[in-house]
Amino acid sequence: MVPKIMKQGRFTPWFYLLGALVIMTVFIVYPTIRTFTLSLRDKTGANWASADCVRGQPCWGIFENYRYALTDKEMLEALRNNALWILLTVPGTVGAGLMFAVLTDRVRYERIAKTIVFLPMAISFVGASIIWKFIYYLEAGARSQIGLLNAIIVALGGEPVAWLTNPKWIVNNISLWIVWIWLWAGFCMTILSAALKGVPTEILEASRVDGASEWQVFWRIMLPMILPTVTVVATTMVINVLKVFDIVFVMTNGLNGTEVIANRMFKFIVTNQGRSMAIAVLLIALIIPVMIINIRRFREQEAMR
Amino acid sequence: MSAHRTPRRTVRLNPTRIGIYTLLILFALLFLIPVYVLVVSSLKTFAEVQDLSRLWSPPTGLHLESFRAAWWGIPEKGLRGLSQNLLNSVYLTVPATILSSMLGSLNGYILSKWRFRGANVLFPLMLFGMFIPYQSILIPLTQTLAAIHLGGTIWGLILVHVVYGIPITTLIFRNYYAEVPTDLVEAARIDGANILGVYWRVLFPLSVPGFVVVIIWQFTNIWNEFLFAVSILQKPDVQPITVALRNLAGSQIQEWNMIMAGTLIAAVPTLLIYIIMGRYFIRGLLAGSVKG
Repeated sequence: MVPKIMKQGRFTPWFYLLGALVIMTVFIVYPTIRTFTLSLRDKTGANWASADCVRGQPCWGIFENYRYALTDKEMLEALRNNALWILLTVPGTVGAGLMFAVLTDRVRYERIAKTIVFLPMAISFVGASIIWKFIYYLEAGARSQIGLLNAIIVALGGEPVAWLTNPKWIVNNISLWIVWIWLWAGFCMTILSAALKGVPTEILEASRVDGASEWQVFWRIMLPMILPTVTVVATTMVINVLKVFDIVFVMTNGLNGTEVIANRMFKFIVTNQGRSMAIAVLLIALIIPVMIINIRRFREQEAMR
Repeated sequence: MSAHRTPRRTVRLNPTRIGIYTLLILFALLFLIPVYVLVVSSLKTFAEVQDLSRLWSPPTGLHLESFRAAWWGIPEKGLRGLSQNLLNSVYLTVPATILSSMLGSLNGYILSKWRFRGANVLFPLMLFGMFIPYQSILIPLTQTLAAIHLGGTIWGLILVHVVYGIPITTLIFRNYYAEVPTDLVEAARIDGANILGVYWRVLFPLSVPGFVVVIIWQFTNIWNEFLFAVSILQKPDVQPITVALRNLAGSQIQEWNMIMAGTLIAAVPTLLIYIIMGRYFIRGLLAGSVKG
Protein backbone atom coordinates (compact mmCIF):
# COMPACT_ATOMS: atom_id res chain seq x y z
CA MET A 1 0.00 0.00 0.00
CA VAL A 2 1.30 3.41 -0.86
CA PRO A 3 1.45 5.56 2.30
CA LYS A 4 -0.37 8.81 2.77
CA ILE A 5 2.56 11.13 2.29
CA MET A 6 2.79 9.84 -1.26
CA LYS A 7 -0.71 11.00 -1.93
CA GLN A 8 -0.61 13.99 -4.20
CA GLY A 9 -3.01 16.66 -5.19
CA ARG A 10 -5.33 15.59 -7.89
CA PHE A 11 -3.25 17.13 -10.62
CA THR A 12 0.47 16.84 -10.03
CA PRO A 13 1.06 13.22 -11.12
CA TRP A 14 -1.40 13.62 -13.91
CA PHE A 15 0.68 16.44 -15.24
CA TYR A 16 3.61 14.03 -15.68
CA LEU A 17 1.45 11.28 -17.04
CA LEU A 18 -0.47 13.58 -19.34
CA GLY A 19 2.22 13.46 -22.01
CA ALA A 20 2.17 9.69 -22.12
CA LEU A 21 -1.60 9.67 -22.09
CA VAL A 22 -1.94 12.14 -24.93
CA ILE A 23 0.48 10.38 -27.25
CA MET A 24 -1.01 6.99 -26.50
CA THR A 25 -4.44 8.31 -27.39
CA VAL A 26 -3.21 9.94 -30.59
CA PHE A 27 -1.05 7.03 -31.74
CA ILE A 28 -2.75 3.95 -30.34
CA VAL A 29 -6.40 4.53 -29.46
CA TYR A 30 -7.30 6.82 -32.34
CA PRO A 31 -5.61 4.70 -35.07
CA THR A 32 -7.34 1.59 -33.71
CA ILE A 33 -10.74 3.25 -34.08
CA ARG A 34 -9.73 4.55 -37.47
CA THR A 35 -8.75 1.04 -38.60
CA PHE A 36 -12.33 -0.05 -37.96
CA THR A 37 -13.91 2.87 -39.78
CA LEU A 38 -11.54 2.62 -42.75
CA SER A 39 -12.36 -1.06 -43.12
CA LEU A 40 -15.88 0.02 -44.10
CA ARG A 41 -14.61 2.44 -46.74
CA ASP A 42 -13.45 1.82 -50.31
CA LYS A 43 -9.97 1.65 -51.90
CA THR A 44 -9.03 5.23 -51.13
CA GLY A 45 -11.29 5.85 -48.16
CA ALA A 46 -13.32 8.39 -50.11
CA ASN A 47 -16.60 6.44 -50.23
CA TRP A 48 -18.32 3.62 -48.42
CA ALA A 49 -16.97 0.18 -49.29
CA SER A 50 -20.15 -0.59 -51.22
CA ALA A 51 -18.73 1.67 -53.97
CA ASP A 52 -16.26 -1.15 -54.77
CA CYS A 53 -19.06 -3.61 -55.49
CA VAL A 54 -19.29 -4.88 -59.03
CA ARG A 55 -22.73 -5.17 -60.59
CA GLY A 56 -23.85 -8.77 -60.99
CA GLN A 57 -21.40 -10.09 -58.38
CA PRO A 58 -21.92 -10.84 -54.71
CA CYS A 59 -21.82 -7.73 -52.58
CA TRP A 60 -21.88 -7.27 -48.83
CA GLY A 61 -22.70 -3.56 -48.93
CA ILE A 62 -20.51 -1.50 -46.61
CA PHE A 63 -19.00 -4.79 -45.45
CA GLU A 64 -17.71 -5.44 -48.96
CA ASN A 65 -14.09 -5.53 -47.75
CA TYR A 66 -15.04 -8.22 -45.26
CA ARG A 67 -16.48 -10.25 -48.11
CA TYR A 68 -12.98 -10.16 -49.58
CA ALA A 69 -11.29 -10.88 -46.25
CA LEU A 70 -13.50 -13.87 -45.45
CA THR A 71 -14.33 -15.47 -48.78
CA ASP A 72 -11.70 -14.61 -51.39
CA LYS A 73 -9.53 -17.47 -52.61
CA GLU A 74 -6.25 -15.78 -51.70
CA MET A 75 -7.52 -14.94 -48.24
CA LEU A 76 -8.76 -18.48 -47.69
CA GLU A 77 -5.30 -19.70 -48.59
CA ALA A 78 -3.80 -17.26 -46.09
CA LEU A 79 -6.24 -18.34 -43.36
CA ARG A 80 -5.51 -22.00 -44.06
CA ASN A 81 -1.79 -21.33 -43.85
CA ASN A 82 -2.01 -19.38 -40.60
CA ALA A 83 -4.05 -22.24 -39.13
CA LEU A 84 -1.36 -24.71 -40.22
CA TRP A 85 1.33 -22.42 -38.83
CA ILE A 86 -0.42 -22.52 -35.45
CA LEU A 87 -1.03 -26.27 -35.52
CA LEU A 88 2.54 -27.14 -36.43
CA THR A 89 4.93 -24.42 -35.31
CA VAL A 90 3.43 -23.76 -31.89
CA PRO A 91 3.92 -27.37 -30.73
CA GLY A 92 7.21 -27.33 -32.66
CA THR A 93 8.69 -24.29 -30.93
CA VAL A 94 7.27 -25.06 -27.48
CA GLY A 95 8.24 -28.73 -27.75
CA ALA A 96 11.77 -27.98 -28.92
CA GLY A 97 12.10 -25.29 -26.24
CA LEU A 98 10.93 -27.67 -23.53
CA MET A 99 13.28 -30.39 -24.72
CA PHE A 100 16.28 -28.02 -24.71
CA ALA A 101 15.28 -26.68 -21.29
CA VAL A 102 15.12 -30.18 -19.80
CA LEU A 103 18.28 -31.44 -21.50
CA THR A 104 20.48 -28.41 -20.82
CA ASP A 105 19.41 -28.52 -17.20
CA ARG A 106 21.34 -31.77 -16.87
CA VAL A 107 24.66 -30.94 -18.41
CA ARG A 108 27.72 -29.09 -17.32
CA TYR A 109 27.88 -26.74 -20.28
CA GLU A 110 24.36 -25.46 -19.80
CA ARG A 111 25.21 -21.83 -20.52
CA ILE A 112 27.06 -22.50 -23.77
CA ALA A 113 24.29 -24.75 -25.06
CA LYS A 114 21.67 -22.16 -24.21
CA THR A 115 23.66 -19.33 -25.73
CA ILE A 116 23.81 -21.23 -29.02
CA VAL A 117 20.11 -22.10 -29.14
CA PHE A 118 19.14 -18.54 -28.26
CA LEU A 119 21.58 -16.93 -30.72
CA PRO A 120 19.11 -16.65 -33.66
CA MET A 121 16.99 -14.25 -31.57
CA ALA A 122 19.80 -11.70 -31.69
CA ILE A 123 19.69 -11.58 -35.50
CA SER A 124 16.88 -9.67 -37.20
CA PHE A 125 14.14 -11.74 -38.82
CA VAL A 126 15.09 -10.13 -42.12
CA GLY A 127 18.71 -11.22 -41.68
CA ALA A 128 17.69 -14.73 -40.63
CA SER A 129 15.38 -15.02 -43.63
CA ILE A 130 18.18 -14.02 -45.99
CA ILE A 131 20.59 -16.56 -44.51
CA TRP A 132 18.01 -19.31 -44.92
CA LYS A 133 17.15 -18.14 -48.42
CA PHE A 134 20.78 -18.84 -49.27
CA ILE A 135 20.63 -22.26 -47.58
CA TYR A 136 17.49 -23.13 -49.57
CA TYR A 137 18.79 -21.50 -52.76
CA LEU A 138 18.19 -23.35 -56.03
CA GLU A 139 20.40 -22.54 -58.99
CA ALA A 140 17.91 -22.87 -61.82
CA GLY A 141 18.81 -25.52 -64.41
CA ALA A 142 22.33 -25.89 -63.08
CA ARG A 143 24.00 -29.03 -61.84
CA SER A 144 26.27 -27.08 -59.58
CA GLN A 145 24.23 -25.98 -56.60
CA ILE A 146 25.64 -23.38 -54.24
CA GLY A 147 22.71 -23.34 -51.84
CA LEU A 148 23.84 -25.47 -48.90
CA LEU A 149 20.91 -27.86 -48.79
CA ASN A 150 20.85 -28.59 -52.52
CA ALA A 151 24.63 -28.85 -52.63
CA ILE A 152 24.42 -31.62 -50.03
CA ILE A 153 21.63 -33.38 -51.92
CA VAL A 154 23.49 -33.23 -55.21
CA ALA A 155 26.70 -34.42 -53.55
CA LEU A 156 24.78 -37.44 -52.26
CA GLY A 157 23.57 -38.13 -55.79
CA GLY A 158 20.08 -36.70 -55.51
CA GLU A 159 18.20 -34.15 -57.58
CA PRO A 160 18.10 -30.55 -56.35
CA VAL A 161 14.82 -29.53 -54.72
CA ALA A 162 12.97 -26.23 -55.04
CA TRP A 163 12.57 -25.56 -51.32
CA LEU A 164 10.73 -22.29 -51.66
CA THR A 165 9.18 -22.44 -55.12
CA ASN A 166 8.00 -26.03 -55.12
CA PRO A 167 4.82 -26.90 -57.05
CA LYS A 168 3.83 -28.79 -53.89
CA TRP A 169 2.79 -25.87 -51.69
CA ILE A 170 3.31 -27.77 -48.47
CA VAL A 171 7.06 -28.08 -49.14
CA ASN A 172 7.46 -24.30 -49.30
CA ASN A 173 5.55 -23.92 -46.07
CA ILE A 174 7.60 -26.56 -44.29
CA SER A 175 10.75 -24.70 -45.33
CA LEU A 176 9.38 -21.55 -43.69
CA TRP A 177 8.30 -23.39 -40.54
CA ILE A 178 11.81 -24.75 -40.06
CA VAL A 179 13.18 -21.21 -40.11
CA TRP A 180 10.53 -20.14 -37.61
CA ILE A 181 11.37 -22.95 -35.21
CA TRP A 182 15.08 -22.20 -35.55
CA LEU A 183 14.31 -18.59 -34.63
CA TRP A 184 11.92 -19.10 -31.71
CA ALA A 185 13.00 -22.33 -29.99
CA GLY A 186 15.52 -20.38 -27.92
CA PHE A 187 12.87 -17.95 -26.73
CA CYS A 188 10.63 -20.81 -25.54
CA MET A 189 13.59 -22.59 -23.98
CA THR A 190 14.64 -19.55 -21.96
CA ILE A 191 11.24 -18.97 -20.40
CA LEU A 192 10.53 -22.65 -19.78
CA SER A 193 13.97 -23.17 -18.32
CA ALA A 194 13.37 -20.38 -15.80
CA ALA A 195 10.15 -22.14 -14.79
CA LEU A 196 11.89 -25.52 -14.46
CA LYS A 197 14.44 -24.05 -12.07
CA GLY A 198 11.53 -23.07 -9.86
CA VAL A 199 10.38 -26.65 -9.33
CA PRO A 200 11.44 -27.58 -5.79
CA THR A 201 14.27 -30.13 -5.80
CA GLU A 202 12.82 -31.95 -2.77
CA ILE A 203 9.70 -33.00 -4.64
CA LEU A 204 11.74 -34.39 -7.50
CA GLU A 205 14.16 -36.17 -5.18
CA ALA A 206 11.30 -37.66 -3.16
CA SER A 207 9.64 -39.12 -6.24
CA ARG A 208 12.97 -40.55 -7.38
CA VAL A 209 13.50 -42.16 -4.03
CA ASP A 210 10.02 -43.66 -4.43
CA GLY A 211 11.31 -45.29 -7.61
CA ALA A 212 9.86 -43.07 -10.31
CA SER A 213 11.76 -43.18 -13.60
CA GLU A 214 13.08 -39.97 -15.17
CA TRP A 215 10.36 -40.25 -17.77
CA GLN A 216 7.66 -40.45 -15.09
CA VAL A 217 9.25 -37.59 -13.15
CA PHE A 218 9.01 -35.44 -16.23
CA TRP A 219 5.43 -36.26 -17.22
CA ARG A 220 3.89 -36.59 -13.77
CA ILE A 221 5.70 -33.91 -11.80
CA MET A 222 7.75 -31.43 -13.82
CA LEU A 223 5.31 -30.86 -16.63
CA PRO A 224 2.21 -30.40 -14.45
CA MET A 225 4.13 -27.98 -12.24
CA ILE A 226 5.28 -25.76 -15.09
CA LEU A 227 2.04 -26.07 -17.04
CA PRO A 228 0.98 -22.43 -16.40
CA THR A 229 4.25 -21.24 -17.97
CA VAL A 230 3.85 -23.65 -20.88
CA THR A 231 0.43 -22.11 -21.48
CA VAL A 232 1.85 -18.58 -21.45
CA VAL A 233 4.59 -19.51 -23.90
CA ALA A 234 2.11 -21.32 -26.16
CA THR A 235 -0.38 -18.46 -26.24
CA THR A 236 2.42 -15.98 -26.86
CA MET A 237 3.60 -18.11 -29.76
CA VAL A 238 0.05 -18.29 -31.14
CA ILE A 239 -0.06 -14.49 -31.19
CA ASN A 240 3.37 -14.32 -32.84
CA VAL A 241 2.36 -16.83 -35.48
CA LEU A 242 -0.86 -14.97 -36.27
CA LYS A 243 1.25 -11.87 -36.86
CA VAL A 244 3.96 -13.64 -38.88
CA PHE A 245 5.18 -11.34 -41.63
CA ASP A 246 8.92 -10.67 -42.03
CA ILE A 247 10.10 -14.12 -42.95
CA VAL A 248 7.25 -14.82 -45.37
CA PHE A 249 7.68 -11.42 -47.00
CA VAL A 250 11.44 -11.81 -47.44
CA MET A 251 11.62 -15.50 -48.35
CA THR A 252 8.62 -16.15 -50.59
CA ASN A 253 6.49 -13.00 -50.53
CA GLY A 254 3.52 -15.30 -50.11
CA LEU A 255 3.99 -16.96 -53.50
CA ASN A 256 3.59 -20.66 -54.26
CA GLY A 257 1.02 -21.34 -51.62
CA THR A 258 2.75 -19.63 -48.69
CA GLU A 259 0.47 -16.61 -48.26
CA VAL A 260 -0.31 -15.47 -44.70
CA ILE A 261 -2.77 -12.90 -43.31
CA ALA A 262 -0.25 -10.21 -42.41
CA ASN A 263 1.39 -10.35 -45.83
CA ARG A 264 -2.00 -9.99 -47.55
CA MET A 265 -2.68 -6.96 -45.42
CA PHE A 266 0.66 -5.44 -46.35
CA LYS A 267 0.12 -6.02 -50.06
CA PHE A 268 -3.03 -3.89 -50.00
CA ILE A 269 -1.66 -1.03 -47.92
CA VAL A 270 -1.09 1.17 -50.93
CA THR A 271 -3.47 -0.31 -53.52
CA ASN A 272 -6.60 -0.88 -51.46
CA GLN A 273 -6.87 0.68 -48.02
CA GLY A 274 -10.32 -0.66 -47.27
CA ARG A 275 -9.29 -4.26 -47.87
CA SER A 276 -6.07 -3.86 -45.99
CA MET A 277 -7.94 -2.53 -42.95
CA ALA A 278 -10.62 -5.23 -43.12
CA ILE A 279 -7.83 -7.81 -43.03
CA ALA A 280 -6.30 -5.88 -40.12
CA VAL A 281 -9.59 -6.05 -38.23
CA LEU A 282 -9.77 -9.77 -38.94
CA LEU A 283 -6.27 -10.12 -37.52
CA ILE A 284 -7.25 -8.21 -34.37
CA ALA A 285 -10.38 -10.35 -34.04
CA LEU A 286 -8.30 -13.53 -34.25
CA ILE A 287 -5.75 -12.27 -31.77
CA ILE A 288 -8.21 -10.93 -29.15
CA PRO A 289 -9.27 -14.29 -27.65
CA VAL A 290 -5.63 -15.33 -27.18
CA MET A 291 -4.79 -11.86 -25.93
CA ILE A 292 -7.50 -12.08 -23.26
CA ILE A 293 -6.02 -15.33 -21.95
CA ASN A 294 -2.64 -13.63 -21.72
CA ILE A 295 -3.96 -10.46 -20.10
CA ARG A 296 -5.92 -12.45 -17.55
CA ARG A 297 -2.86 -14.48 -16.61
CA PHE A 298 -0.80 -11.32 -16.53
CA ARG A 299 -3.24 -9.66 -14.12
CA GLU A 300 -3.14 -12.71 -11.86
CA GLN A 301 0.63 -12.39 -11.74
CA GLU A 302 0.33 -8.69 -11.00
CA ALA A 303 -2.19 -9.38 -8.24
CA MET A 304 0.31 -11.69 -6.55
CA ARG A 305 2.90 -8.92 -6.32
CA MET B 1 17.29 -33.77 -9.70
CA SER B 2 19.36 -31.72 -12.03
CA ALA B 3 22.96 -32.64 -12.33
CA HIS B 4 24.19 -29.11 -11.83
CA ARG B 5 22.96 -29.15 -8.26
CA THR B 6 25.00 -32.21 -7.36
CA PRO B 7 28.74 -31.76 -6.83
CA ARG B 8 30.55 -32.11 -10.12
CA ARG B 9 32.98 -34.87 -9.29
CA THR B 10 30.15 -37.30 -8.59
CA VAL B 11 28.83 -36.89 -12.15
CA ARG B 12 29.60 -40.12 -13.98
CA LEU B 13 29.32 -40.83 -17.63
CA ASN B 14 26.56 -43.35 -18.04
CA PRO B 15 24.66 -44.22 -21.25
CA THR B 16 21.89 -41.70 -20.50
CA ARG B 17 24.35 -38.87 -20.06
CA ILE B 18 26.21 -39.82 -23.21
CA GLY B 19 22.88 -39.82 -25.02
CA ILE B 20 21.99 -36.38 -23.69
CA TYR B 21 25.37 -34.97 -24.67
CA THR B 22 25.20 -36.46 -28.16
CA LEU B 23 21.73 -35.08 -28.69
CA LEU B 24 22.69 -31.65 -27.44
CA ILE B 25 25.86 -31.47 -29.52
CA LEU B 26 23.87 -32.49 -32.58
CA PHE B 27 21.28 -29.80 -32.00
CA ALA B 28 23.91 -27.20 -31.21
CA LEU B 29 25.59 -27.98 -34.53
CA LEU B 30 22.27 -27.78 -36.39
CA PHE B 31 21.59 -24.42 -34.79
CA LEU B 32 25.05 -23.16 -35.65
CA ILE B 33 25.10 -24.18 -39.31
CA PRO B 34 23.26 -21.08 -40.54
CA VAL B 35 25.61 -18.89 -38.52
CA TYR B 36 28.58 -20.74 -39.96
CA VAL B 37 27.23 -20.27 -43.47
CA LEU B 38 26.76 -16.57 -42.75
CA VAL B 39 30.28 -15.92 -41.49
CA VAL B 40 32.15 -18.17 -43.91
CA SER B 41 30.32 -17.05 -47.05
CA SER B 42 30.77 -13.39 -46.21
CA LEU B 43 34.54 -13.87 -46.05
CA LYS B 44 34.72 -15.54 -49.45
CA THR B 45 35.15 -14.00 -52.86
CA PHE B 46 32.47 -14.30 -55.50
CA ALA B 47 34.42 -17.04 -57.29
CA GLU B 48 34.89 -18.92 -54.06
CA VAL B 49 31.26 -18.79 -53.05
CA GLN B 50 30.40 -20.25 -56.47
CA ASP B 51 32.86 -23.10 -56.04
CA LEU B 52 30.92 -26.07 -54.82
CA SER B 53 33.93 -28.12 -53.80
CA ARG B 54 34.80 -25.42 -51.31
CA LEU B 55 31.33 -25.17 -49.78
CA TRP B 56 32.33 -26.30 -46.32
CA SER B 57 35.87 -25.02 -46.38
CA PRO B 58 36.85 -21.82 -44.71
CA PRO B 59 37.73 -19.00 -47.10
CA THR B 60 41.20 -19.06 -48.67
CA GLY B 61 42.15 -15.89 -46.89
CA LEU B 62 40.63 -12.89 -45.24
CA HIS B 63 38.73 -11.59 -48.23
CA LEU B 64 37.14 -8.35 -47.27
CA GLU B 65 35.91 -7.58 -50.81
CA SER B 66 32.43 -8.74 -49.93
CA PHE B 67 32.31 -6.38 -46.99
CA ARG B 68 33.65 -3.54 -49.09
CA ALA B 69 30.98 -4.23 -51.72
CA ALA B 70 28.20 -4.51 -49.13
CA TRP B 71 29.36 -1.31 -47.45
CA TRP B 72 29.92 0.90 -50.50
CA GLY B 73 27.68 -0.87 -53.01
CA ILE B 74 28.51 -1.75 -56.62
CA PRO B 75 27.42 1.34 -58.57
CA GLU B 76 28.02 -0.22 -62.01
CA LYS B 77 25.56 -2.98 -61.15
CA GLY B 78 23.16 -0.52 -59.59
CA LEU B 79 23.58 -1.94 -56.08
CA ARG B 80 23.39 0.48 -53.17
CA GLY B 81 25.79 0.01 -50.29
CA LEU B 82 24.62 -0.23 -46.71
CA SER B 83 26.83 2.46 -45.16
CA GLN B 84 24.18 5.19 -45.18
CA ASN B 85 21.49 2.78 -44.00
CA LEU B 86 23.61 1.60 -41.10
CA LEU B 87 23.95 5.23 -40.04
CA ASN B 88 20.20 5.67 -40.47
CA SER B 89 19.66 2.72 -38.15
CA VAL B 90 21.89 4.41 -35.58
CA TYR B 91 20.05 7.73 -35.96
CA LEU B 92 16.79 5.85 -35.53
CA THR B 93 17.64 3.41 -32.77
CA VAL B 94 19.70 5.56 -30.40
CA PRO B 95 17.20 8.41 -29.85
CA ALA B 96 14.20 6.07 -29.89
CA THR B 97 15.80 3.81 -27.30
CA ILE B 98 16.88 6.67 -25.02
CA LEU B 99 13.54 8.48 -25.21
CA SER B 100 11.37 5.42 -24.65
CA SER B 101 13.53 4.28 -21.74
CA MET B 102 13.40 7.71 -20.08
CA LEU B 103 9.65 7.99 -20.51
CA GLY B 104 9.14 4.42 -19.34
CA SER B 105 11.25 5.10 -16.26
CA LEU B 106 9.29 8.24 -15.35
CA ASN B 107 5.95 6.57 -15.93
CA GLY B 108 6.98 3.47 -14.05
CA TYR B 109 8.07 5.62 -11.11
CA ILE B 110 4.81 7.54 -10.98
CA LEU B 111 2.65 4.45 -11.36
CA SER B 112 4.49 2.53 -8.66
CA LYS B 113 5.19 5.21 -6.05
CA TRP B 114 2.38 7.73 -6.22
CA ARG B 115 -1.19 7.36 -5.27
CA PHE B 116 -3.67 9.24 -7.39
CA ARG B 117 -7.01 8.87 -8.97
CA GLY B 118 -6.84 7.78 -12.56
CA ALA B 119 -4.05 5.25 -12.19
CA ASN B 120 -6.83 2.74 -12.61
CA VAL B 121 -7.66 4.20 -16.01
CA LEU B 122 -4.11 4.50 -17.15
CA PHE B 123 -2.92 1.01 -16.40
CA PRO B 124 -5.54 -0.84 -18.49
CA LEU B 125 -4.81 1.61 -21.29
CA MET B 126 -1.15 0.66 -21.05
CA LEU B 127 -2.08 -3.02 -21.19
CA PHE B 128 -4.21 -2.38 -24.24
CA GLY B 129 -1.29 -0.56 -25.83
CA MET B 130 0.97 -3.46 -25.02
CA PHE B 131 -1.13 -6.19 -26.54
CA ILE B 132 -2.67 -4.56 -29.60
CA PRO B 133 -1.05 -5.89 -32.80
CA TYR B 134 0.58 -2.72 -34.08
CA GLN B 135 0.70 -3.82 -37.67
CA SER B 136 -3.10 -3.61 -37.72
CA ILE B 137 -3.03 0.12 -37.25
CA LEU B 138 -0.38 0.88 -39.85
CA ILE B 139 -2.45 2.92 -42.29
CA PRO B 140 -4.11 5.27 -39.77
CA LEU B 141 -0.72 5.64 -38.15
CA THR B 142 1.02 6.73 -41.36
CA GLN B 143 -1.85 9.14 -41.95
CA THR B 144 -1.42 10.60 -38.47
CA LEU B 145 2.31 10.98 -39.12
CA ALA B 146 1.63 12.73 -42.42
CA ALA B 147 -0.83 15.07 -40.68
CA ILE B 148 1.87 16.21 -38.26
CA HIS B 149 4.39 16.52 -41.14
CA LEU B 150 6.54 13.60 -40.04
CA GLY B 151 5.48 11.22 -42.79
CA GLY B 152 8.39 9.50 -44.53
CA THR B 153 10.99 10.80 -42.07
CA ILE B 154 13.24 9.08 -39.58
CA TRP B 155 11.79 11.35 -36.87
CA GLY B 156 8.36 9.97 -37.66
CA LEU B 157 9.62 6.43 -37.20
CA ILE B 158 11.44 7.43 -33.99
CA LEU B 159 8.16 8.78 -32.65
CA VAL B 160 6.39 5.54 -33.54
CA HIS B 161 8.97 3.42 -31.75
CA VAL B 162 8.91 5.71 -28.72
CA VAL B 163 5.14 5.53 -28.48
CA TYR B 164 4.95 1.79 -28.97
CA GLY B 165 7.79 1.30 -26.54
CA ILE B 166 6.11 3.20 -23.70
CA PRO B 167 3.79 0.41 -22.47
CA ILE B 168 6.48 -2.22 -22.17
CA THR B 169 9.20 0.07 -20.79
CA THR B 170 6.73 1.51 -18.27
CA LEU B 171 5.77 -1.96 -17.17
CA ILE B 172 9.35 -3.15 -16.73
CA PHE B 173 10.26 -0.05 -14.70
CA ARG B 174 7.06 -0.20 -12.68
CA ASN B 175 7.91 -3.71 -11.56
CA TYR B 176 11.53 -2.73 -11.01
CA TYR B 177 10.64 0.26 -8.82
CA ALA B 178 8.11 -1.80 -6.88
CA GLU B 179 11.17 -3.50 -5.33
CA VAL B 180 12.68 -0.18 -4.18
CA PRO B 181 11.78 0.32 -0.49
CA THR B 182 9.16 3.02 -0.15
CA ASP B 183 10.91 4.23 3.05
CA LEU B 184 13.63 5.76 0.89
CA VAL B 185 11.07 7.64 -1.13
CA GLU B 186 9.21 8.82 1.96
CA ALA B 187 12.43 10.04 3.56
CA ALA B 188 13.16 12.17 0.52
CA ARG B 189 9.59 13.36 0.58
CA ILE B 190 9.87 14.42 4.22
CA ASP B 191 13.07 16.27 3.33
CA GLY B 192 10.87 18.34 1.07
CA ALA B 193 11.66 16.87 -2.33
CA ASN B 194 8.92 17.29 -4.88
CA ILE B 195 7.70 14.63 -7.27
CA LEU B 196 10.54 15.12 -9.73
CA GLY B 197 13.09 15.64 -6.98
CA VAL B 198 12.27 12.24 -5.51
CA TYR B 199 12.83 10.71 -8.90
CA TRP B 200 16.19 12.36 -9.51
CA ARG B 201 17.56 11.90 -6.00
CA VAL B 202 16.23 8.46 -5.10
CA LEU B 203 14.93 6.38 -7.99
CA PHE B 204 17.08 7.43 -10.91
CA PRO B 205 20.44 6.64 -9.24
CA LEU B 206 19.11 3.18 -8.39
CA SER B 207 17.89 2.57 -11.90
CA VAL B 208 21.05 1.48 -13.70
CA PRO B 209 20.25 -2.26 -13.86
CA GLY B 210 16.69 -1.46 -14.91
CA PHE B 211 17.96 0.84 -17.63
CA VAL B 212 20.42 -1.76 -18.90
CA VAL B 213 17.63 -4.30 -19.34
CA VAL B 214 15.22 -1.85 -20.96
CA ILE B 215 17.82 -0.26 -23.24
CA ILE B 216 19.02 -3.63 -24.53
CA TRP B 217 15.45 -4.77 -25.10
CA GLN B 218 14.44 -1.60 -26.94
CA PHE B 219 17.66 -1.30 -28.90
CA THR B 220 17.47 -4.86 -30.22
CA ASN B 221 13.80 -4.63 -31.12
CA ILE B 222 14.08 -1.30 -32.88
CA TRP B 223 17.30 -2.19 -34.68
CA ASN B 224 15.75 -5.41 -36.01
CA GLU B 225 12.30 -4.02 -36.79
CA PHE B 226 11.20 -4.18 -40.40
CA LEU B 227 7.47 -3.71 -41.03
CA PHE B 228 7.09 -0.15 -39.73
CA ALA B 229 10.34 0.91 -41.33
CA VAL B 230 9.42 -0.40 -44.76
CA SER B 231 5.91 1.07 -44.53
CA ILE B 232 6.83 4.51 -43.26
CA LEU B 233 10.13 5.16 -45.01
CA GLN B 234 9.93 4.91 -48.78
CA LYS B 235 13.09 6.78 -49.81
CA PRO B 236 16.15 4.49 -49.96
CA ASP B 237 18.45 7.12 -48.47
CA VAL B 238 16.50 7.32 -45.20
CA GLN B 239 15.70 3.63 -44.75
CA PRO B 240 17.28 1.71 -41.88
CA ILE B 241 19.54 -1.25 -42.53
CA THR B 242 16.90 -4.02 -42.25
CA VAL B 243 14.98 -2.52 -45.18
CA ALA B 244 18.09 -1.84 -47.26
CA LEU B 245 19.33 -5.36 -46.61
CA ARG B 246 16.10 -6.84 -47.84
CA ASN B 247 16.33 -4.71 -50.99
CA LEU B 248 19.92 -5.82 -51.53
CA ALA B 249 18.99 -9.49 -51.16
CA GLY B 250 15.92 -9.08 -53.31
CA SER B 251 17.77 -7.66 -56.30
CA GLN B 252 18.31 -9.81 -59.38
CA ILE B 253 22.05 -10.10 -58.93
CA GLN B 254 22.60 -12.92 -56.48
CA GLU B 255 26.07 -12.17 -55.15
CA TRP B 256 25.65 -14.26 -52.07
CA ASN B 257 29.06 -13.42 -50.62
CA MET B 258 28.15 -9.73 -50.64
CA ILE B 259 24.62 -10.38 -49.35
CA MET B 260 25.99 -12.46 -46.48
CA ALA B 261 28.53 -9.75 -45.68
CA GLY B 262 25.67 -7.22 -45.57
CA THR B 263 23.63 -9.50 -43.31
CA LEU B 264 26.57 -9.84 -40.97
CA ILE B 265 27.14 -6.07 -40.90
CA ALA B 266 23.46 -5.56 -40.03
CA ALA B 267 23.61 -8.17 -37.28
CA VAL B 268 26.87 -7.07 -35.63
CA PRO B 269 25.45 -4.52 -33.14
CA THR B 270 22.77 -6.82 -31.76
CA LEU B 271 25.02 -9.88 -31.84
CA LEU B 272 27.70 -8.01 -29.89
CA ILE B 273 25.18 -6.90 -27.30
CA TYR B 274 23.91 -10.44 -26.99
CA ILE B 275 27.35 -11.97 -26.65
CA ILE B 276 28.67 -9.37 -24.20
CA MET B 277 25.53 -8.81 -22.13
CA GLY B 278 23.46 -11.92 -22.74
CA ARG B 279 22.32 -12.08 -19.14
CA TYR B 280 20.55 -8.71 -19.35
CA PHE B 281 19.28 -9.53 -22.79
CA ILE B 282 17.53 -12.58 -21.39
CA ARG B 283 16.24 -10.67 -18.38
CA GLY B 284 14.59 -8.18 -20.74
CA LEU B 285 13.14 -11.06 -22.67
CA LEU B 286 11.63 -12.56 -19.54
CA ALA B 287 10.18 -9.18 -18.58
CA GLY B 288 8.70 -8.67 -22.00
CA SER B 289 7.68 -12.25 -22.58
CA VAL B 290 4.06 -11.68 -21.69
CA LYS B 291 3.76 -9.21 -24.52
CA GLY B 292 3.65 -11.50 -27.51
